[in-house]
Amino acid sequence: MTPNQSVAALLFVPVMAVAVATAPSQGKEGQAPPKFALDAALVLSPEFCETKFTKGSTMSGKETFEVGKAACESLEPALKTAFSNLARVDAESASGSAQVVLLPRFVDVGATRTVGAFSDRELIVLVEWTAKDAQARTVWIATVQGAAKRNMGNVFTAGKNRRRIVEDSLKDLAKQSAAKMLAAQEIRDLVR
Amino acid sequence: MHRNASWPVGGLIVLLLAGSLYAADQWPDYPVRAIGDYPNSMTTGGLTIAVEPLEDQKAQKTHFNTEFGKKGFLPVLVVIQNASNSDSFLIAKDKITYGFADGALSTPEAKSKAGSIVGGASLAALSLGGAVFAMKLISNATKVQQNILKKELQSNTLSPGASTHGFLYVPVPKEGSRARLLLRFLVARVGSDETLSVELQF
Repeated sequence: MTPNQSVAALLFVPVMAVAVATAPSQGKEGQAPPKFALDAALVLSPEFCETKFTKGSTMSGKETFEVGKAACESLEPALKTAFSNLARVDAESASGSAQVVLLPRFVDVGATRTVGAFSDRELIVLVEWTAKDAQARTVWIATVQGAAKRNMGNVFTAGKNRRRIVEDSLKDLAKQSAAKMLAAQEIRDLVR
Repeated sequence: MHRNASWPVGGLIVLLLAGSLYAADQWPDYPVRAIGDYPNSMTTGGLTIAVEPLEDQKAQKTHFNTEFGKKGFLPVLVVIQNASNSDSFLIAKDKITYGFADGALSTPEAKSKAGSIVGGASLAALSLGGAVFAMKLISNATKVQQNILKKELQSNTLSPGASTHGFLYVPVPKEGSRARLLLRFLVARVGSDETLSVELQF
C-alpha cells in the first residue's frame, strides 16, 4: 500500500463507520411515514376558508392575504397522508363518529416588504391546531408555521406574486401540519 | 461641482439601505438557559414554568432591533418544561393572563385576589400588539414585526420530557417605574379534567 492509499484508507474507514451507524435511523429512502389508523374529521368551516388578513398602513400601502382559501385547498390532501381515513366537514358538530377531530385556527400572518421588485419577501402563516378525541376532549394542540419566499413583484405582477406566495406558504403549512401530527404521541395514543 | 457633491449623499443612502438590509438578518435568538438556572420559576405537578423579563434596552435592540418600553410593552421570556414521565400538558395561549400584582399577592392566600386582577386580560389578544407598534418605529418595520412574531410564545402540547419557550409582550406604562406584574398560566393535563394554575410575579 502506498502512503497515499494508506491516507485514503484511514479517511474512508471512519466515513463508512458513521454511515453504518446512522443507516437504521434514516429508514428506507422514499418510504412515506406510516399513517395513523384513525377515522379523522377535518373541520374546515366557511369562516375559516374565507379568512383574510390585511397588513400595512395607509402610508406604506395595505395588502390583503387570502389565506383561508389557500388553506382549504391545501390542508385536506396533505392530512390524508397522516390518517387512514380523513373526512372533510364544515362544522365540529358534523364530525359524526370520528375518532379524532382536527380544528385549525389562524393565529397571525407576517409579511415582509422589500424595496426592489426583484428582492425576495417572506410570508409566514401561523395556524393553531386543536385535536379532540371522540368524547370531544382536547388531547393535543400545536401551532404550526408555514413559510414561503418570492419576489415582491412590480406594479403589474405584485398581485399574482402575492397569491402565489400565499399558496406556497399554505402548502408548506399543510405539509408541516401533517408531519407534526404524525410526530404527536398524544394522537398516536388514540389508535390504541 | 454639483455632480461631485451628490456622491457622498448617494453613497450614504446606499450604505444606510445596505446597513438596514444586513441588520435585518442579524437579530439573534435570545439565549435560553436550563430551566433550573432561572431564579423566577415555579414547579407544580411535574411542570416547571420560568419567566425572565427582558428589561435591558440594549438587549431588546440586539434581539428585536427595537425598544419596547417607549411603546408600552415589556417582552417576557417564558420557558416551560414538562419533567413528568407519563403526562402531557396543553399550553394554550388564550389561557395565559396578566395583570398588575400588589404586595398582598406574595402570600399564597391571596391567589383568588390575584385571579380577579389577572382574569380580565388575556395575552392571546396581544399577538398583534407588539407588531402594530413596530410598524411605526423604523423603515424596515416589516422585518422587525416578522421577528417579533417568530419569537412569540405559541400554543403547544408538551409531551413527557419536552420543553418550549418564547416571548410574551406584556403591556406596561410607557413612563415611570412599572409596578410588579403577574402572569397566570392555566395548563390542562391531557386525559384528565385537572388544570394546573401557575402564577409568577416579576
